[in-house]
This record gives sequence, structure tokens and C-alpha cells, in this order.
Amino acid sequence: MKCIITIELGTNGVRVFAFNLSGRVIGSMKGYFPTFHTEPDHSEQDPEQIFITTLYVLKNLLNEYIPPKKYTVACICFSASMHSVLAVDKYGNPLGNAITWADNRAKKEAQELRCSPLGKSLYAATGTPIHPMSPLVKIAWMKNRDKDRFRLASKFLSIKSYIIHQLTGEYKMDYSIASATGLLNIHTVTWEADALQYAGITAARLPDVAPVFTSAGKLKKAYQQSLRLPPETKILLGSSDGCLATLGDGVKGIGKATITIEDSGAVRVMGPTVLKDEQMRFFNYLLTDDCYVSGGPTNNGGNIFEWFSRQFGEFTNPFDMENSLQQLIEEASKVPRGSDGLLFLPYLLGERAPIWNANARGMYFGLNIKHERKHFIRATIEGILYEIYSIGKTLGEQRNIKSLSVNGSFGTIPFCTQMIADMFNKPVRVRQQYHSVSFGAYLLSATEMGIYKSLDEAAQTVELPDVYKPNKQHHAVYADYFTIYEKLSVKLAEEFEAISSLQQKYVITEAPAKESKVRGNKKVKQEVKSKR
Amino acid sequence: MNQFVLQHGKSAELLLFPHIQELGIKKNGSIQLNAFFTTLTEGLRIYYIIEGRFEWRINHQSYIYYPGDVALILPGTPFGSDNGVLEIGSYTWIQLALHRLDNGHIQPGKWSGLSESEAAAIGKTLLLNSLPVLSRFSEVGKILKCIHAELFGNEVGYQASINHQLDELLIQVARKMTKQSHANRDFPKTFMHLEEVLRQDLAHQWTVEEMAALVGMGTTLFTEKVKSYSGFSPINYLINIRISEAIKLLKRPDITVTDIALDTGFYSSQHFSTTFKKLTGYRPSEFRKNHLRNK
Repeated sequence: MKCIITIELGTNGVRVFAFNLSGRVIGSMKGYFPTFHTEPDHSEQDPEQIFITTLYVLKNLLNEYIPPKKYTVACICFSASMHSVLAVDKYGNPLGNAITWADNRAKKEAQELRCSPLGKSLYAATGTPIHPMSPLVKIAWMKNRDKDRFRLASKFLSIKSYIIHQLTGEYKMDYSIASATGLLNIHTVTWEADALQYAGITAARLPDVAPVFTSAGKLKKAYQQSLRLPPETKILLGSSDGCLATLGDGVKGIGKATITIEDSGAVRVMGPTVLKDEQMRFFNYLLTDDCYVSGGPTNNGGNIFEWFSRQFGEFTNPFDMENSLQQLIEEASKVPRGSDGLLFLPYLLGERAPIWNANARGMYFGLNIKHERKHFIRATIEGILYEIYSIGKTLGEQRNIKSLSVNGSFGTIPFCTQMIADMFNKPVRVRQQYHSVSFGAYLLSATEMGIYKSLDEAAQTVELPDVYKPNKQHHAVYADYFTIYEKLSVKLAEEFEAISSLQQKYVITEAPAKESKVRGNKKVKQEVKSKR
Repeated sequence: MNQFVLQHGKSAELLLFPHIQELGIKKNGSIQLNAFFTTLTEGLRIYYIIEGRFEWRINHQSYIYYPGDVALILPGTPFGSDNGVLEIGSYTWIQLALHRLDNGHIQPGKWSGLSESEAAAIGKTLLLNSLPVLSRFSEVGKILKCIHAELFGNEVGYQASINHQLDELLIQVARKMTKQSHANRDFPKTFMHLEEVLRQDLAHQWTVEEMAALVGMGTTLFTEKVKSYSGFSPINYLINIRISEAIKLLKRPDITVTDIALDTGFYSSQHFSTTFKKLTGYRPSEFRKNHLRNK
């Protein structure tokens, strides 16, 4: 029997799934890799560690499920987080670590570009909001501030392009990841000349852009042997996590939107046209030539609730976050909707959509003497979801959203899913124990293999059996409080900026992590050797 | 108990305990000048505050101690108070000789009943979590009191009993340190800390006991948490880091494969080669040839 393997290179690690041809999960495994913050605004990952972890997990999964259950691998399909940048030299060796989407080092470049006419035209051409996350401004930062690396860089890859290059020797980048670099014209699907000029590079220093269905070449012999895979195993370029989560939820069609809430979150729609926005609030990424995934991302999702839990949760068992979160949800469910008038702005990590303000900060508002600990718990959850609703509402100005689906570990907690249904006043569909990104990668592979005629047909087969129905009265309560929430989120721009600059002035940041000792030792040894 | 000081080489009571360099209780009724100068010793010093409030400097940093607190001074660290002032109050202390190994690690001597790997784990914990103030730590006061009583009581078996108490003291201090520096709420943060420490000393032959002790967990819980968080057992996770560091070094022409193997914690180049090939499909030398091509 044939099977399909999907590899998702995510923010915190890699997840590998094996699907049979009808989309049932045969098995899955994950492996963690760390993010290094060597300086306050930096967020980096080690490309070699990502590669080794990926190989290791893939090998374990293959050994455990594939030959023992008499499967053969027909196809391996990749997905990855967007916006990463990895500079490599002319031999393909990394120059330093990969810079992830969460890296803020280019905030000055981003702010200047966002306010300029060039920024506006680049946003319209590329669909990527002008923000430090964008590879466009990261490469520009390197040009200005890390000149050696910039000069030595033969190519600027994404993490996925690097991993694929290791496995097959080809430099390729799929439409979806390319359209999230801020360098690709999403209307003509070619590298945008103005963007290249701004970044100071030529198209030759970027990988070749190819459709998501493209084969990324043959596995190198050594990997065929070590992974025991046949040489004809197809390696599919695949797409980005955001695009595939949307496809995996079957959101191809009019009137549908999907909400993802993991650590961070996003609300997305899919369609043949882009969302235009004077305020540059939405992203428009490419899945295929005629299909755009559009929406708005938030920085503050489940990670904010985990923050709350670490500070104020009960930890009966050491390190048992699951249990602590569960207890908090139980307590929150005993508080009336609207938390008796306590509001929470969840901007602990600044915010992207819809306010795009890196200086935004969190706040509890409306406290009175009767509020108790439990009100804070519920208000925190409500605040995170008001923000999601706020993104949905701005999307609703351009698209008529009739039905919603929810995925991600935080969004699919039943308490949260019901709250989303009530806030949006729309039915919400989910499937428990389900991984949208990987399923999207399965749908993509199955379509490429001819099991489905088109992605449209594939998307139509997605079944999300659990429906949460909205309650009108509950909606009315949330809607009332949301009007205040929305005003607060924009009214405080001046104070947000003031407090964040004071926080930078007075707060001493933690000392940066030390360099690995291996390299340190090496230097000493080298010197000794040269003296001999 | 009244105040006293016993010193190695001077006090007959310590003849059987060469590893106890100093032991005593101090009760100070009035502020004294020139009584507590900064000193530097090769022993590990542990001070437990019984009464009063003391402001002491450890490694040039000032700390304030209240009753129930413990001051921990690592070997070779300057300790004392400004102008030698000794404030009012009482405290008890011990100075313990530890072995310093070639790699800079510290370990208790032969008197200790700790197994080799446990002793190494405790030594590493003391060195890495430099926490000069351990607060609300009355266990140390009790152990020191017990040692005093045994030392002056001379009942049968007192030698073994005191050495047991010393082990207990080191164990309690190591556990308290890791608990104080890792609130048991944030596993990702704890894991990141561990990752940093491992990378700083990749050549060391890490054991699961050592890794678990570093973050203040028992090995069972530690292994379970690492597995569910990272997808790997602690040792396999470590192999991950080792191979990824090795890959980087293989891409540089100036280091031999044997050096790389030892630097990244493999006990031989053979062991390195087998592990590397199993994971990557290439022998280290082949991998190097492919990546250094044209250089």
C-alpha cells in the first residue's frame, strides 16, 4: 500500500505525519528544536539542528510505521513557517543561523519603509505587510548592519529551501513561502524589481520560484539508503503552514473563513482575488496561480493564556501546564459572560493585525472592587478572542463570511470554540484531534497524485463534524463589551508608545546566552597549533 | 549551644575529618569593626543565619541575609563584609574541602557515600547555579546542629554519622539551588536553560542524572517531560545537538575528525562515525569531502 508523508517545519519543531491515500493518519511524530535569543530583538534557529532533527524524526517514523505496516512511501510533502531567512555561501553552507519570523531586528527599517510611498506600492505588489517579520526588510537590515554576511551570501534561502537543498541538492522555493518574503510580485509571480532593489540584491541571489506541486528533485543516494526509501519517492515542495491550514480546513469556497489559534493566531480566507487595504492590515499569500490566502495575524494567542497560567495558575504537579490550564478554564466557566465588566487587552507581545503596533501593551480595564481572581481568568480568555474577532470584523468588511472553522491547540478548547461562535454570532466547525496543516499537505499531495482532480475537489471532501452554534443573547453581551475593547485598542496609541519607550529605558534585559563552548575551545586550539 | 570555632590542623576534634576545614558558631552582641574581612579559600563555605541581619559581599556583590537564609560561597570566591564590619546576630558555618578535577569540576572526596555520577551531578549543580542566597532554608541549620552534637557527643558510629550528614547537606543545598532557580511552572524555559548548559560543555559525558539534577527534577519525571516536550529521550536529544554541532565543524577545513568527535562528546572517532552515518547516511569524512569541495 502506498502512503504520503508530510513534514511540517514549524516554529518550535518539526512534525511528521504518515497518511494513507484516503487521508487517514497512520502515525505521527514530532521533534523539538530551540529558538535562540542572543540579543533582545533576535530570534534565530540553527539550520543544522533543524536538519538533523528532521532526519531523525523522519527516520523514526518510517522505521516504526512504514515497513512494519507494509506501506511504501509514494510522496513526501513539505510545509513550513513563513518569513524565515538563511544566508548561505557559494558552497551552500549556512552563514550563521536562520532568522525566524519572530525576529524584530529590522524594526527600524520596517517602520521607515511602512511610512514611505515605496512601502505602500511594495505592499500592493507583494501582499506581505511591511513588518520586521518580512524577509524583505531582514535582508535590507543585513545589507546595512551585517555587511560581511550580506557580501558573502550567495543566496538567501528560507529554512525549508535549505532543508530541501540538503536532501536533493536543488534550490527551490514554493509560491506560498516566496509570496511571504515581501519580494515576490503576487500578481505576476516573479521577483519584484523594486523590492529587489530595496533589499540590494538580484534575483540570482534567491531560489527559483516554483508552484507548490513541483517536484524538488530526487533524494540523494545516501538518504535513500539511510531512510530506506525508493529512488522514485517524490519530494514535493509543498506550501506554507498558513496556506495549508486554510486548505486543510476546506476553506476553499465563498463565505468561508478559518481561525487558527496556537501560540499566536490568524484569521484567513481563500479566494481568486486579493484583499486590498489602504491601511495595509492584511496579508495576501499565494497557494496557486489563481488562489490567494488572505487574512490577518495576531501575536497574542495561546501563549498569553500560558503566560497567565505560569503567573497565577495552580501547579499541583510540577511543570504540568495542561492541568493548570484546565483548572483555569473550569474557574473561568463559572464567571458570567463579559467577566462582569472586566476587559483585557492581550498585547503583551505588541500586535500585528489589525492595529499593527509593535509598541502596544497589555491592560486590564474596568476593574471594580467586586472583581475576583476568577474574573481575571475569564477576562484574559475573552481578551484574546476579542482580538481574533477584531481581525475577523475587519476581514468581514471585504468578504461576506458565513461560516467559520477553528484549528490550533488553543482555539479548539471547547470553551474557547463556543466563545468564538458567540462573539462572531456564526456557527463554528472543528474536528478534534486533527491537524489542519498536515492534512492540507496531504490534500495537496493527493491532488498532485491524481486522487483528486483539483484542490477545489480536495477541499470539498474535508469534514469538520463538530458544530458550535452561536447564542444570540451571549452575542449581545460580547458585542456590547467589544465596542469598548475596540476603542481602547486604538485610543491608547500614544500611551503605548510612551510606556514601551520607558520599558526600554529602565528595564534591564537578561544577559544574552553564551556562545557554544565547542567553538570557543576550537579557537584556542587553533592558535596553539599555529604557534607550533 | 555556645559559640566555638574548630579548625583543621588545630582542633583535635577534627582529626578524623580532614575534609572539614572549619566549623563553628558565632554569637555577636555588638557591632565590631575589623572582624570580618574579605577572604578567599579553596573550600566550599556554607553560612546559616540564626539571628540578626548581615550584609555580606560575595564575589564583590553585596547581599543581605536574614534568619533562616543560607550564604553559599564557592571555592575561590572572595567573601567578607565592607571594612570588616561584623553586625549583631548569630550564625553557624562550615568550610568543606572539595576535590577540584582537571576539568574544573568540584566533587566531594572519598569520605562521601555519594555515587560517582551523583557526586558529579551535585558538583555541577553547585558550579552552574551560582546562587549566593538560599532563602528560608532551615534544613541547613538543623544539619549543622546535628553535626555539632555528634562531634562533641562521640557516640558510637559518630564518624559515619557526620559524613552522612555532610552528604545530606550537599544534597539539600543542590536541590534547593535548582528549585530556587527553576520555578516548576515553565518547562520551556527550564529546557532552554538546560540546552544552553549542554552546548557550553558538549565534550562532557553527560548522564541523565546530571541533566535532571541541573534543573532540579528526578530522573523519571525529567525523562518523561523531555520526551513529551522534545519528542526525544534526553540522551537522544543530546545526540541531536552533538551531531548538529559536528556538522558545522566538519564544514571547516582546520579541525581533524577525531578532534571534532571528542569536542562534541563522542568517546571515539569510531563511535562518532557510526552515529553520524546512522543519522545522516554519510561517514563524517565523506560528508566533509562533499561540503569542502572546491575549497
